[in-house]
Amino acid sequence: MTETIQIDTYLSSLRTHLGPMTLGERDEIVREISSHIRDSAEQSGGNVETILARLGSAEELAAQYRDGVLIRQASRSISPVKLMRGALRLATKGVSGVIVFFVGMFGYIIGGGCVLSGLLKGVFPAHTGTWFQDGRMIASGTQLYIPPSPAHEVLGMWYIPLMLTVGSLTLLATTFVIRTSLRISQRWQAKLSRGA
Amino acid sequence: MMRLRARPIENESPDRWEAQLRKGALEMAALASLWRGRLYGLEIIRFLEQHSRLVLAEGTIYPILNRLKAEGMLTSDWVEAEAGHPRKYYALTEPGRTRLRQMAEAWANFAGGLSQLLEPVLYPQAAEQSSTRDTEKKELSR
Repeated sequence: MTETIQIDTYLSSLRTHLGPMTLGERDEIVREISSHIRDSAEQSGGNVETILARLGSAEELAAQYRDGVLIRQASRSISPVKLMRGALRLATKGVSGVIVFFVGMFGYIIGGGCVLSGLLKGVFPAHTGTWFQDGRMIASGTQLYIPPSPAHEVLGMWYIPLMLTVGSLTLLATTFVIRTSLRISQRWQAKLSRGA
Repeated sequence: MMRLRARPIENESPDRWEAQLRKGALEMAALASLWRGRLYGLEIIRFLEQHSRLVLAEGTIYPILNRLKAEGMLTSDWVEAEAGHPRKYYALTEPGRTRLRQMAEAWANFAGGLSQLLEPVLYPQAAEQSSTRDTEKKELSR
């Protein structure tokens, strides 16, 4: 009875730590490990504690499954959250990963900021725009206080399509850069493991 | 701040290095265990225990099998066993066979080269004798 509880506790801990994987993948893994424990118990007659100890802790086992899966899933995704999680995982593997992570963060902030600013122009038309004075740009974006004359706003309502286009292109480029980096890192890892 | 400077590897003990080496070889070993036919997880572990000295924490093999399957190197099937519960059997796919062949060739070249390099380290007496013979030959030829 205690053994059943031990196994159940191990499997439920494993399932919990498999976090970012899909429900189907988690089920499959737990089913396989459960089958391993039953087979080991039947074949060796060993006690459950030894079998579980030989498997390693549920947390460590889950971490081995998660590593790689996150990057693989992210490289097929367009979700900024998934891509950034993949980039973060990549950042733990080396300096180039850290660069990808920061480029991604920078790209999403700039791109998202441009799109948001374009939308804000629709809501606060007088307070949003690009102001020039004496041939120099002195302010751009949504301003609490409108720059006083002789500064003048130059784009008018063109600000909206311009910002939406620039923002979308930046977001697309960022997505492309992160996905490509994740794919290259996967290929690189596969190459390493092939011993090439 | 990022630490770009290489750390001194105080805790890089030979044991740890060996563990890394074994871990690296495990993917190839897992593929090799399936060369003759399909096996389930525990059979792969037992096979590796019998045929190689890659003693491993049993849990390590499952994430590797999972990754190899995701990469299309393996297929898997749940088969209802006599034991009363299903077992997940793995088999090599054609790309898996090709990759294993490439890995085996690379491994053989690598290991062959290293063995030659390490011969004097492993068998110092034999190396000493052969170098003495070389010196004698050179002196005779003069």
